[in-house]
Amino acid sequence: MNEETKVLESFETAVLERFPDWVTPDEREGYQGLLVDPANLIDLMSSLRDELGYDHLTSLTGVDYLPDEKMEVVYHLVKSTGGPILEIKTQLPRSNPVAPSLVGLYPGAAFQEREAWDLLGIKFDGHPNLKRILMWEGFAGHPLRKDWVEAYHGEEKKPYDDRWPEGKARKIEADNPYRENVSYPEGFNPETWIPDTQELLFEGSQRFQLDDDLETEQLVVNLGPQHPSTHGVFRMVAKLEGETVVDLEPVMGYLHRNHEKIGEKNTFAMNMPYTDRLDYFCSMSNNFGYALTVEKLLGENYQPPERAQYIRVIMAELTRVLNHFMAIGFFLNDLGAYFTPALYTIKERELILDIFEAVAGSRMMCNYYRFGGVVRDLPEGMEEHIRKLVYERLPRQIDELDRYLVENEIVVARGRGVGVLTPEQAIGLSAAGPVLRASGVPYDIRRADPYSIYDRFDFDVAVRYHGDVYDRFLIRYDEIRQSIRILQQAIDGIPKGEVLANKKAYKYKMPKGEAYGRVEGPKGELGYYVVSDGTDNPWRYHVRAPSFINLTGLKQMCLGEKVADLVAILGSIDIVLGEVDR
Amino acid sequence: MADLINVIENWLNKLLLGWGASPGLTQFILQALGSVLVVLICFMIVIALIWVERKLAGRIQDRFGPNRAGPFGIFQSFADIIKIFTKEYITPQGADKVTFNIAPVLAIASVLAIWAVFPFASNVIGADVNVGVLYIVAIGSFGILAILMAGWSSNNRYALLGASRSVAMLISYEIPMVVSLLIPVLLAHSMKLSAIIDTQRPWWFILVVPTAALIFLISSMAEIGKAPFDLLEAESELVAGYHTEYSGMKFGMFYVAEFLHQFTVGALITIFFLGGWTGPMAAHWPILGVIYFFGKAFLVYLVISWIRLSLPRIRIDEMLNLNWKFLIPVSFINLIGVAVADRILLDLEPPRWLYVAVMFVLNMLILLVALYLSGKSQPALEVEEFPHRPVAVSPRTEKSSS
Repeated sequence: MNEETKVLESFETAVLERFPDWVTPDEREGYQGLLVDPANLIDLMSSLRDELGYDHLTSLTGVDYLPDEKMEVVYHLVKSTGGPILEIKTQLPRSNPVAPSLVGLYPGAAFQEREAWDLLGIKFDGHPNLKRILMWEGFAGHPLRKDWVEAYHGEEKKPYDDRWPEGKARKIEADNPYRENVSYPEGFNPETWIPDTQELLFEGSQRFQLDDDLETEQLVVNLGPQHPSTHGVFRMVAKLEGETVVDLEPVMGYLHRNHEKIGEKNTFAMNMPYTDRLDYFCSMSNNFGYALTVEKLLGENYQPPERAQYIRVIMAELTRVLNHFMAIGFFLNDLGAYFTPALYTIKERELILDIFEAVAGSRMMCNYYRFGGVVRDLPEGMEEHIRKLVYERLPRQIDELDRYLVENEIVVARGRGVGVLTPEQAIGLSAAGPVLRASGVPYDIRRADPYSIYDRFDFDVAVRYHGDVYDRFLIRYDEIRQSIRILQQAIDGIPKGEVLANKKAYKYKMPKGEAYGRVEGPKGELGYYVVSDGTDNPWRYHVRAPSFINLTGLKQMCLGEKVADLVAILGSIDIVLGEVDR
Repeated sequence: MADLINVIENWLNKLLLGWGASPGLTQFILQALGSVLVVLICFMIVIALIWVERKLAGRIQDRFGPNRAGPFGIFQSFADIIKIFTKEYITPQGADKVTFNIAPVLAIASVLAIWAVFPFASNVIGADVNVGVLYIVAIGSFGILAILMAGWSSNNRYALLGASRSVAMLISYEIPMVVSLLIPVLLAHSMKLSAIIDTQRPWWFILVVPTAALIFLISSMAEIGKAPFDLLEAESELVAGYHTEYSGMKFGMFYVAEFLHQFTVGALITIFFLGGWTGPMAAHWPILGVIYFFGKAFLVYLVISWIRLSLPRIRIDEMLNLNWKFLIPVSFINLIGVAVADRILLDLEPPRWLYVAVMFVLNMLILLVALYLSGKSQPALEVEEFPHRPVAVSPRTEKSSS
């Protein structure tokens, strides 16, 4: 038993001793955490939050245990003062899965509960706005339920043998002709259906009194899904009073592809390249999180060798630098700087992508990490190349950007005091990463719950104390500087040796069990929750996407601000739609 | 050969009269020919400007800019013109069709009409009206109307928002612009553009009244809606603002009007503050004057582009604050100061260089005091700082480090 599990156990025993009537340890093979009866959930959670300090609900998801006729809601809680995850589960009957909603306690649960309802059909009692979030209303069923099958359903799991009868490829879609593969929920007619947000759009032109003698009209503006500032196909329906935002409704799911369903059909190893597509700027970080999670399941034999650990850290930190350069550049773009800063930051990003291309063969979709290491060693001379970059080029460039952008009066005027999120709100809304740290909460998983070899490096947790757009902009500079410090230490300390603990494999012998692994991705906490039933394919594969959950606070930040700020605020959160919509 | 344009004009005049045309008709034909020539020159300039602007943008942004069509990509604009001509004209269903179609025409017309009174050289002047400044201000405001018409008639919320922003912005920026235009008028004792230029020999007004020149530059940048004042077409917020719904050549007309407007601002600054066509030998060789005029206008154009490419956009409330709380008071104080000083100096009759020096010092003084006061009176932005928390650390690392 290693030290980590010891600490975790001591945390769990503390909860067990405190609430012996409510919780029982989860004793299934390979499972951790505590089970609680849904009736006691709210009481338990509020006590956990108020008495034991578990104030941050990082992840909320569900699992469909079809053979047991049960649905399970899995909550992952942490203390904002650091420490490992506490896993709480509650089991519901599969025929009528109703869990109490946690939105009152943790506002950050709002989107995640909607997602669980949308994909798994778990109802949350007391949720103020429980409707579909990633799918549209005309979608029949809940796709992550194990008994839900898609229209051209062939075999249960990959690799599909029926697609290659006698070694020849056959399109299974041919069995499902067009127009016969669509089904709608009962009572749903796509011809007459009007989306909720559409109604909101038209209701906008009612007159109302602002004060005694001024009568104005509200204007509802639809920003997105095709809009230059939404960084993809994200949509905000904003109700305006003149130029001031009085209401906002984020609409997402335009890029939804049900990553998790695909993940459950794939084998464990097949999922690695799929994670690249989550946050397509930061594929290395995504790989990192997934590799860590599955290694937790696989056990001690798959601990990566020293050199691989260092390479992983180097690549992950380069990704962070790259992402923040992009975030800085495109934030300025959102402020209206006509691409000039963005192109200068993209130049630095290209240099890092060159490294990725050299090590992984691809600039963006790297697919570089493997369970137990990385797929191949650094090429000849790459260490020297990275050393030059992190010692000379990047520190110089970040100083240059600092000189030109940080003190710019327009940037300060546009960012200071705009879109403020207080520390309490940020924690409550489950914000993570730069958004959380800019609000004065120095919570960085690399320090708060170290993974890989981050505890060896000397760096500071970047933190800013105003929680506004300007601080969220500045914190990215701080983080780049800290990442460069880590990179310098890592590139100096990298040992020689193997990079993969085991043989390269297509399939892995997976033990039964579950694992939740998380890394400090550039955009925030990137978590993976994987359940294995002992077969080659994961039984459940859930991604806690930082951009998605950071968006929970968007409305909070935007109310009372101007339309122009809306764009700046969205830019300062730094979302990637590949990850939001999954 | 020194005066090419007038030589041609005289020759044509004699030719037409020789053919038996009446003097009135001859005059009309010559003037019509002149107008067509000016319009053609304007469009030719825009084609060149688009290429220069894109090349400059490329260089400022650390990339090449257009470099495929022809040497250095100089034919890029022609390719774009062909593309824009072949595109479909889309009129949205709910649009007010007449207004929708008139707006782009009006946008271009309002800019071109300004060019009617420009003195390109000592004797090449379209119409040397004695209320030239008044004419420019009046005609220049027509552009706003075009924007408002486009935004309103498109039946699009982005366009409407862009148009309503532009009205709030342009109407308020008109004030410091006109007030700072009054200063050259005051110094020249005339509203006639040729008289204003004559007064600027050899001391350009930018040396006499730099503050007025600066205010005019800022407010006219706002007038044409260039960054950092490009709120009316704020790309990241309003997609394209008032011309969101326009396509094909109708969009092209707005686009051309925009470039031309920017160049026109360059020309205006040249006339009012940079001495117009004046320069070495320009009085003897009027064709040189034309070159100087366009050269100066072009320089100002490049400065505006440079600013546009370097700065982010400011918000509408900040922009109106800048106007009402800074530009307008400063421009009025400057006007009063210059008027009083000019009156006093008129009686004292100092040498010209002393006059210029006194005016320059006065202007700079007004600007510096205004900057100092505005920096002082602006309340420091109150932003709440959250209490500092200890860094979140794992109990595991705490143990191992202790």
